[in-house]
Amino acid sequence: MRKEKELIYQQQLRQDLLDRKMDRREFISKTLTAGLGLAGVGVISNFGNFAHAQSRPLTPTFYQWIEDLHPGIPQVNSRFPDVNYQIAPVEGFGIERFVAEAKKGDSTWDVYVGQTPFVEMTAMIEADVIEPWDNYIPKDVIDDIIPSIREECTINGKMYGWPFLLDVIGTGWHAGIVKEAGLPDDAPATWQDYLSRADQVVESGAAQFGATFDAHGWRSLAPFTHSLSSDVYTSEGLFDFTGDAAIEALMLMKNIMGKSHPDILLAGATDGGVNGTPDEVAFAAQRVGYYNKYFNAPLRMAQYWDNPKDLRMGPLPKFAGGEGSTVFWTTGAALFKHGKNKEKAAEYVKALTYDQQIWKDSIAGTETAHPGQLPPYKSLYAGWKASQPDWLPDFVDLVRGQLDQAKAITNHLFGLQQFIIGQPVWEAYLKGEEKNPRVAMQNVVDAVQAEMKRG
Amino acid sequence: MKDLLRVTLLWLPIRGETAKVTTGNPAIHGPIRKSWLVEHNNWVFLLPTVLFFVWYQVYPIVRVVWISFTDYKYLTNDPANWVGFDNYAEALSDPLMWDSLGRAAYFTAMFLPGTIIIPLLLAVLIHGVQNQRLATVYRVILLIPAVIPSTLVFVLWKWMYNYQIGPINHFLVEVTGWFTYRNAPQWLGGTDLTLPSVAIMEVWWGLGYHSVFFLAGLAAIPKDLPEAARIDGANEWQVFRHIILPRLQPIMLILVILRFGTSMGVIDEYLIFGGFNRESPTYTWTIFMYDQAFKTGLWRQGLAAAIGMVGSLVMMAFVSWLIYIFRSRD
Repeated sequence: MRKEKELIYQQQLRQDLLDRKMDRREFISKTLTAGLGLAGVGVISNFGNFAHAQSRPLTPTFYQWIEDLHPGIPQVNSRFPDVNYQIAPVEGFGIERFVAEAKKGDSTWDVYVGQTPFVEMTAMIEADVIEPWDNYIPKDVIDDIIPSIREECTINGKMYGWPFLLDVIGTGWHAGIVKEAGLPDDAPATWQDYLSRADQVVESGAAQFGATFDAHGWRSLAPFTHSLSSDVYTSEGLFDFTGDAAIEALMLMKNIMGKSHPDILLAGATDGGVNGTPDEVAFAAQRVGYYNKYFNAPLRMAQYWDNPKDLRMGPLPKFAGGEGSTVFWTTGAALFKHGKNKEKAAEYVKALTYDQQIWKDSIAGTETAHPGQLPPYKSLYAGWKASQPDWLPDFVDLVRGQLDQAKAITNHLFGLQQFIIGQPVWEAYLKGEEKNPRVAMQNVVDAVQAEMKRG
Repeated sequence: MKDLLRVTLLWLPIRGETAKVTTGNPAIHGPIRKSWLVEHNNWVFLLPTVLFFVWYQVYPIVRVVWISFTDYKYLTNDPANWVGFDNYAEALSDPLMWDSLGRAAYFTAMFLPGTIIIPLLLAVLIHGVQNQRLATVYRVILLIPAVIPSTLVFVLWKWMYNYQIGPINHFLVEVTGWFTYRNAPQWLGGTDLTLPSVAIMEVWWGLGYHSVFFLAGLAAIPKDLPEAARIDGANEWQVFRHIILPRLQPIMLILVILRFGTSMGVIDEYLIFGGFNRESPTYTWTIFMYDQAFKTGLWRQGLAAAIGMVGSLVMMAFVSWLIYIFRSRD
């Protein structure tokens, strides 16, 4: 009788597993609880997916730039002897291959390392491409993630992204130029100070241009807005373009433009105009004193300087009375719903994201790259604070301090697109074609809403 | 082998018709009935090609046409619903559709003459070179851009056009002093100069390739024709205008139609040089279509297909007109 009950229960669990009402972890724990340990293992090993998982090795796929900027990844791979490491077909953040496979209930890969939440996470969820990490990520790891980053990776209470590489918008400056202009070699605390210093750079002749920024909204408008207030998202999760903070930020952009190179608004040279932007060229050519962008950019560009050690970095300036926040985003791992080896994928991503060598290379730089991307875990910063490594630059601690106030752009299907659609519209104000910033921003809202109505 | 197949086909009576052709021994096999396949065996041989054509060429077009009448969104798993001409109405009423078509036409208007006239003149000049070794050297030099991979061409020209560090602006600012770095021309990145700049790059890239077409056409003109005209007193311009040019007209027609299609449908260059800024001159109907299909919202591929069909119909109308213009008048 007991055997029969066990069999019925086993069949029910098996059916639930097949119907995906539970995952394998839950299945195993339930069968163990019911005293069916071996029987449970027997069932799960007969389950098609599991058998398939055994037939293929862990298959992560990475966005190309991550491999280019982080030479320590192969070392992590070497700790997973069977790993089938691949480069993702996602040039220009294109996720169409992932979606096409998901529509067939399949995935060539188990985990995608290259997901930026506000850019594509909502779309991947909508298309049923990815599933939450919650069942696979260890609790101690969840607790270790900086709260604002955990929030960034969470939608409807589920963690769809495992954060890896943190980019924070801050300030970089050329110490040689700044000193020549007779300015202090530290980060301007306020935007007013920033603007007057930029003027001083030009007036002194230390450089042709005082300051620059990347004209893409998520790299300038949003972080500048956050420096005044990060409470700038509507109830539906869109950026509040017509709020006072955004208007102030737009006017600030126009002020900075007056001290910058004339091509500042032009599209970039790579990735559909998104990268290889004119601000990078100006900073690399040592034609500008101050620079606002994620730290990766000044670090890469300073490599072209006469003396790369002249690079200094610090937090984003504040508006007087402002919140002093900024924008950050992480590029992390997404778990394919139709992938295999999910537990193994979690093990792999944990190893990857905690690897000390990767962080040392990222922050201190190597011969080939200096991305300056930071880790998402509290424990790593705490460890470095307790015993500061000699390679750790001061800016890391400054940025860590700002991270408690920083906020990611809210996840939304139009999280990135709202800035792409809006940019030419608010640029009417920056170019002087529209005198009133509020009118320009209202036009942005209208353009975004019109596009959203299409679905 | 062919005979064996033919005999085999004969032994496949389908409609019970009596065979008019006798194969084998009627005494043994009785009257042979001609099969349907025999009468239609041409179609049997054509079948693989027809199937390939339908599968490879017709089906995708029919599929896109069908999608254009639905509300198909790629990021949802909801089934597509038939929406009639809604997508067409939406596309046609969107000013961006017409602006983006206009931008593509503007680019074509710059690119097409450059890609016909300059290679034609170059071909005529090279054709006139008497020293064959020198003529070969010219041909090779002309063909160099055509064999450079596209990525390298884009990298090269992006560097050439770079506002701050490109050699063109370096020349204009540092060498001639005609401009400063505050007012130098902004060649790429969404300015008014972007489309002319891309057109110049494209003309340069295709110079050798297009010249070869004309060189082939020139080689096919009998030498005695221009000689006879010259003997009759025609000058070089008259020879070119009345003897050479009419005979190159079929080649011009092919080039114009091919290049009209490619220039109206340029997308890679615009993605690389302009991105998705809707005010940029590089945001043409192809980018609009791509934007809707793979970037914006739930990826509205129904609307994107309608945008594509509108663009294609406009292009077909122009191609018909071009065929009429370049029709043979012999």
